[in-house]
Amino acid sequence: MAEPKTKYDRQLRIWGEQGQAALEKASVCLLNCGPTGSETLKNLVLGGIGSITVIDGSKVEVGDLGNNFMLDESCVGESKAKSVCAFLQELNDAVKAKFIEEYPEALIEMNPPFFSQFTLVVATQLGEEKMIKLDRICREANVMLIFARSYGLTGFVRISVKEHTVVESKPDHFLDDLRLNNPWPELRKFAETFDLNVPDPVAHKHTPYVVILIKMSEEWTNSHGGSLPSTREEKREFKELLKSKMVAIDEDNYKEAIEASFKVFAPPGIKLALSKVLQSADSSFFPFSIAIGRPWIF
Amino acid sequence: MVSERQLEAIKGAKVLMVGAGGIGCELLKTLALSGFQDIHIIDMDTIEVSNLNRQFLFRQSHVGQSKAKVARDAVLKFRPQMSITAHHANVKDPKFNVEFFKQFNVVLNGLDNLDARRHVNRLCLAADVPLVESGTTGFLGQVTVHVKGKTECYECQPKPAPKTYPVCTITSTPSKFVHCIVWAKDLLFAKLFGDKNQENDLNVRSSDASSSAHAEDVFVRRKDEDIDQYGRRIYDHVFGYNIEVASSNEETWKNRNRPKPIYSADVMPENLTEQNGNVAKNCVVDTSSVSAMASLGLKNPQDTWTLLESSRIFLEALKLFFAKREKEIGNLSFDKDDQLAVEFVTAAANIRAASFGISLHSLFEAKGIAGNIVHAVATTNAIIAGLIVIEAIKVLLKDTDKYRMTYCLEHITKKMLLMPVEPYEPNKSCYVCSETPLSLEINTSRSKLRDFVEKIVKAKLGINFPLIMHGSNLLYEVGDDLDEVEVANYAANLEKVLSQLPSPVTNGTMLTVEDLQQELTCNINIKHREEFDEEKEPDGMLLSGWTQAPPAKDDKQSMNDKQSIGNGGDSSNALQTEPADAVKDGEMEEISEPSGKKRKLSEGSKASILDATDGTRNHKEVEKLDDDDDDDDDVVMFDDLDSMTNKKKRLQ
Repeated sequence: MAEPKTKYDRQLRIWGEQGQAALEKASVCLLNCGPTGSETLKNLVLGGIGSITVIDGSKVEVGDLGNNFMLDESCVGESKAKSVCAFLQELNDAVKAKFIEEYPEALIEMNPPFFSQFTLVVATQLGEEKMIKLDRICREANVMLIFARSYGLTGFVRISVKEHTVVESKPDHFLDDLRLNNPWPELRKFAETFDLNVPDPVAHKHTPYVVILIKMSEEWTNSHGGSLPSTREEKREFKELLKSKMVAIDEDNYKEAIEASFKVFAPPGIKLALSKVLQSADSSFFPFSIAIGRPWIF
Repeated sequence: MVSERQLEAIKGAKVLMVGAGGIGCELLKTLALSGFQDIHIIDMDTIEVSNLNRQFLFRQSHVGQSKAKVARDAVLKFRPQMSITAHHANVKDPKFNVEFFKQFNVVLNGLDNLDARRHVNRLCLAADVPLVESGTTGFLGQVTVHVKGKTECYECQPKPAPKTYPVCTITSTPSKFVHCIVWAKDLLFAKLFGDKNQENDLNVRSSDASSSAHAEDVFVRRKDEDIDQYGRRIYDHVFGYNIEVASSNEETWKNRNRPKPIYSADVMPENLTEQNGNVAKNCVVDTSSVSAMASLGLKNPQDTWTLLESSRIFLEALKLFFAKREKEIGNLSFDKDDQLAVEFVTAAANIRAASFGISLHSLFEAKGIAGNIVHAVATTNAIIAGLIVIEAIKVLLKDTDKYRMTYCLEHITKKMLLMPVEPYEPNKSCYVCSETPLSLEINTSRSKLRDFVEKIVKAKLGINFPLIMHGSNLLYEVGDDLDEVEVANYAANLEKVLSQLPSPVTNGTMLTVEDLQQELTCNINIKHREEFDEEKEPDGMLLSGWTQAPPAKDDKQSMNDKQSIGNGGDSSNALQTEPADAVKDGEMEEISEPSGKKRKLSEGSKASILDATDGTRNHKEVEKLDDDDDDDDDVVMFDDLDSMTNKKKRLQ
């Protein structure tokens, strides 16, 4: 039993099944298959993109052999789109590869609806006027667009996408907001059942770090006019304070508390930028009303 | 686009590429397109299916063939005039000696393990040939330049070795899934299917000493023993009996949760004879496609099995090994591409995890951990290859001021995806390129020469063909040209305690260790010490002398030797890394203007990134790899959206 998609094993470990599925559902259109476009598509094809359509009106010339490794002498005189497409197909036969021998400029002028069938259009080496036109076409058709140009050792890549919502953002790290700086009643009661200065050493080192943080941050705010550590200096002091409460060197709970102390520093509420987004958000995305006071962020 | 000067240098250059894999394929293509004419490639690997998502010079039909050769053929197709010499060999082979290296203008590494990198580094130093190093993992990558006398060598900054775990954690007190994997792979699998003569810590050090003698026979299948019965017997022994014995030791469990013994009868009350039908049906000739998952209808490698499913797989896999691959038993070593082996190890690790209250994992995840698999994608390699060529051209032109170490980040930080940094001056205390003596604390009346050779010379210094001298007295050497008397003499020396050697090694002695192939000489000052901490210094010796290069204005050294993504092979103790406290507050130092090539300030989220090893290593020590449940991961607060983040990269 060959594992399905052993080929994709290494990249599955980056973006998982979902990511791979998204790739395989996508259809990409490449405008102009010079070195820039060809390299781009190579990476997508290797990764298992659903389908590619290569659009280029030119024929392969001897000069092309110098900078496009997908072409060899036998291709000279042939349609460049055809040759590149054939090479790409070889890289991954799971990808549906097509080509159209046509100049992208002409397509943009004459056949805007053509682009609606794609998930993504990659436009390389296009002039500005055509880029602007293409951009409008893609926006209307809700097709994602990437422009790329390269020239010697410089170049640019520009993404043009309509505002859209990303629901599953999968951050690399996630911040669990334990509300340590403002515990809810049950948590507060729970913390109160502990005495940080309990004489029994075993009990001392088993006090949960969350409780340590709650109590210490309370002690801090009481002695600092109601505010939490905010400057670098204060944060350091707070950590020192935690350290000073350790009675033995192996108290992991205190070490954990020190490491997690930033959870206390987090200013409550949501960041300004996020508030702006929420306020300006398309109401169709937020069918419910949000009380922008102290929302829970997961 | 290229100047005349550059063009000339490129055309006339003779380049050595070490590695024709992920980076290698992209590199060879880029070199070819950039006009290079004469390239040698060394790679000992053959093409595997999992390479095909990024090593684009290879096709499905090439699976099993030499990477170096196929890469050469593929490039010759579009550059028939190039001279490409492919060596399907290990770069550590003595034929690639200093003379061999001297013929090249520059050496470009595209390797995936620390051991080979160090080896090439030393040869490049000996041959005085510039080296451009590189590595990638997922979306991270880096390119560094090493020119003897002008910049640091590859080893000036010690690279943390892959994580190893104390034996007792593996055998008695696992707390993470990776510990269970190591147990399943290096102990159980090895015991059941590997070399029986190999030492194995599988049986728990119980207070009952007599049981260990009895236990020797436990793992061997008795003559004509029914396979199902054998399977259950093994199951009950390792997951039931051994756990009970371990559990009885009060001291161990004072502050830990006791594990629960698991017996097959409790998990699988019914007889598994109904599975026999499947085994009979499974008349596959190709041993590589024999699979317990297939037998049991568990199709998705991404599903996490239950204890019951894991137990079934365990027994079924064991059965299949004996039914279909009996000949291999006794010689097998774990291979991540061996489906049945991966199934067995996953199942065993899961059952053990269940015992210890650790969460179970899917085959896909387990395989990644057990096989030290590094996630990889085409784009990063393409970027890195481009940067390698750019640096190579600078090196050829000796544009010293323009050399850069470039780090490819995962996310754009301060508007940059690529961070160039000037190389540092050579580290004056680097024992590799500046021959500074090291210090070794060791018990000279207890440790043998053999211990010194295995644990220090080979494992830490990476010297594989050592010559050890005390003054002018040769204590030990390897070589083909030794006569019988010499060989016997050295063999005898190995077994002697240091202070009893013909030329006694005691406190204050200076030993010289050389590697003729690498042309490396290393002096070690011996300091006698009586006691060593069993947990912290399990080797019973402490090597020091790797010092950091002199600190600059700000002491942010910790940034530089932050965890390196699996460098493979080296079993030296990982260096102490200080928690980057400043970083947690969300602040980063600016990259300051260069002033010559002095030590720089921290370079933002630069991490030493290298490909992990894919190869199987044969270490007695329970060596380990990185897992993604690492407690050390920091979570960083954003002070504001613009500040840089510094996350320790999660490793696969």
